[in-house]
Amino acid sequence: MLETLPFRAIVPIDFEFDFGGHASPEEAGRSGERPRPTCMVAKELKSGQTWRRRRGEFDSTPPFSTDASTLFVAYYASAELGCFRALGWPTPARILDLFTEFRSLTNGLTTPAGNGLVGALIHFNLDTIGTLEKDTLRARILRGEPCCPEFLDYCTTDTDALERLLPAMLPGIDLPRALLRGRYMAAAAAMEFNGVPIDVPTLTALRRHWHDIQDQLIRAIDVDYGVFEGRTFKVDRFEKFLADQGIPWPRLESGALDLSRDTFRQMAKSYRVIAPLYELRHALSEMRLHDLAVGSDGRNRTILSAFRARTGRNQPSNTKFIFGPSVWLRGLIKPPPGHAIAYVDWVNQEFGIAAKLSGDEMMIAAYLTGDPYIAFGKQCGKLPHDATKASHPDTRQLLKQCVLGIQYGMEAKTLAFRIGQPEIVARELLHAYRDTYRKFWKWSDAAVDHAMLFGTLHTVFGWRVHVGEQFNPRSLQNFPMQANGAEMLRLACCLATERGIEICAPIHDAILICAPIDRIDDDVAKLREAMNEASRAVLDGFELRTDVRVVKYPDRFMDDRGAVMWQRVMQLLARCQQSEGAA
Amino acid sequence: MADKPKLHAVEDPPIDGIPPDPFNLDELKLGQDFEAATGVRKLLTTVPVRKPGRQEWIRVHPGENYRATFGVIDLKADSEFYLLTANMVRHFSDEVILVTIYTAINKQGVLFLWPARLPTPNDRGRVARWYSSAIEAAELAMKRSVRVKSNLSLGAYETTVTDNPLPENDPVWPDLTFQELLRIGFQKTGCFVDNFDHPIIKQLRGL
Repeated sequence: MLETLPFRAIVPIDFEFDFGGHASPEEAGRSGERPRPTCMVAKELKSGQTWRRRRGEFDSTPPFSTDASTLFVAYYASAELGCFRALGWPTPARILDLFTEFRSLTNGLTTPAGNGLVGALIHFNLDTIGTLEKDTLRARILRGEPCCPEFLDYCTTDTDALERLLPAMLPGIDLPRALLRGRYMAAAAAMEFNGVPIDVPTLTALRRHWHDIQDQLIRAIDVDYGVFEGRTFKVDRFEKFLADQGIPWPRLESGALDLSRDTFRQMAKSYRVIAPLYELRHALSEMRLHDLAVGSDGRNRTILSAFRARTGRNQPSNTKFIFGPSVWLRGLIKPPPGHAIAYVDWVNQEFGIAAKLSGDEMMIAAYLTGDPYIAFGKQCGKLPHDATKASHPDTRQLLKQCVLGIQYGMEAKTLAFRIGQPEIVARELLHAYRDTYRKFWKWSDAAVDHAMLFGTLHTVFGWRVHVGEQFNPRSLQNFPMQANGAEMLRLACCLATERGIEICAPIHDAILICAPIDRIDDDVAKLREAMNEASRAVLDGFELRTDVRVVKYPDRFMDDRGAVMWQRVMQLLARCQQSEGAA
Repeated sequence: MADKPKLHAVEDPPIDGIPPDPFNLDELKLGQDFEAATGVRKLLTTVPVRKPGRQEWIRVHPGENYRATFGVIDLKADSEFYLLTANMVRHFSDEVILVTIYTAINKQGVLFLWPARLPTPNDRGRVARWYSSAIEAAELAMKRSVRVKSNLSLGAYETTVTDNPLPENDPVWPDLTFQELLRIGFQKTGCFVDNFDHPIIKQLRGL
């Protein structure tokens, strides 16, 4: 079967690496350091030639060709390609990542043994011998022990496993599009290698005083709520606060208040008065500043977990990635001296994708106005013709919640909660949306029909979701927007990294880059062109607009939603430092 | 001295096919026209025959071939209309009323057949007003959304329109002929009367 592949050479490859030597895998995982290759085993499957290299034996180029006639095969290739970067090796031109392909083959279905290499072998009833029980060896490698034959043998077992897995998976692989996914894994490796610049002195001070700051935060914020007793959140007091404020809070079937993070987040969006309390609860319970993975060069680095989400989006660790924890913490992002960062995002990406892919002219017209929420209001008669964001801020907010919610398949009851209005208002809004964007709804309903009839749904570039035993029609309905948005982001990342732009991180519908101050404008222009190109490729020539924010040293990045909390925390930090100085 | 080995260029062996190019995006694109791919269409299996509800905003199909006048029996006790063939109408002229059946649809997209009674030369004053006001409402509903409700003090149907200055979206009418709608609305429900053995005829005859 491998003979039929149109490549002169097929090279499965595996690297073992450490991050400079750490006491435990967990510590290594949050080190934020770049990989340091320990050893490599690669095998050319047509000739049988094998290359085993250990640290100190790596040449300046790989021992095999990396041009388009060679198929480079790996399992979660950004790890191997990160080692290529560390060694200064060129990126292979054709990358087949069996991880992304296993995800694509099973996305939406249950994989009892997981999505790792062993999980894939078990899925295809292949021998897992040698690939199990490797934790001890892996821990030794991560400790930074010098490479020994045992490590090389261990590395060989993974390459051998790839050799067994490839022919089993090949009939189910859509090779042309699989190579596009492989191309993204090279971009992911570049982004993971670059990392996000962090203001390390401030992070260090925050870590040092975090416990005191938490206590002071409770005192400062709880003044407006009176719901804490010491460090304990008292539900009965919160219930009274809600009653006093007239806020209808979602409840569980048991009748108790739903205090989940998701509900708090949603309610904080609907009721601004809840937002500080949401941030406080998050700061107290979930935020572990020590988990934020920042390397010795001041860069936040973690595995992006590409293709982990059902939509094909990246799913990096919430605690290790700077864009994971609370939005206020993003104030720690700061360009290094002489540099600037730029955050470029697509404006109303999901709405634009829905409009173009469905071909709904009303929706396209709304997108093109630049403010689809106001445009929707005018189209459905809820706003006068001369309405603007300034003249009708409240109605716009209502319409915005409606548009965003409906895209996620929200129904009247949930929407009513979200907008803080009676259900009949939500029903009316939903009806207005359905009535205004009929072509979109027809297309969207057809997408779900397609999924149910054929068992799968696909994006423009072939990322699939399968309909398994447990499926959610609302997430199927939303899949084309989310997953094609993910395609767009991946493609933009490919184009930008291939054109030499230093991408620090991809963030949902945005890209963060870093460049010397005198080059940032040029790089922003190049990035926007890459994003436009990606948009045109996914949306058949349609360009979604992009927005840019540039931050130059010594300024720091700030997410508007977290600005107040950041100020508050910084004031408390200054107070802690003063007390420490005085003591 | 041993001969130096002769070096010569060796061509790579040919490979079957052209390796896929992940940079040629046009070649990689897949269609997103799920409608065409599935060929799914909604089947209309129920068409209620009724007057518009008091709270309902409706439109009436403006096509002339989507309305017609028939003789029907209005079984008020059961809120049912029975459609009679021309032959049957002749035999039951006392029971039969003449109605124009309009094709109507509400804001929720529910299609229904609206039988609006025609005034006869014998109907005068208040009675005639009831019937003609319903027909006027149906005609207005061909152009814009209306709400129709009976007003006893007025002695007529009251028609409400909105002041929304925006042009309305035209309703999506099903891709069925009026005859097909009648078949679903009357024949499928047993409300089409074309012979004397029909239960409603027996009931009217006290059999």
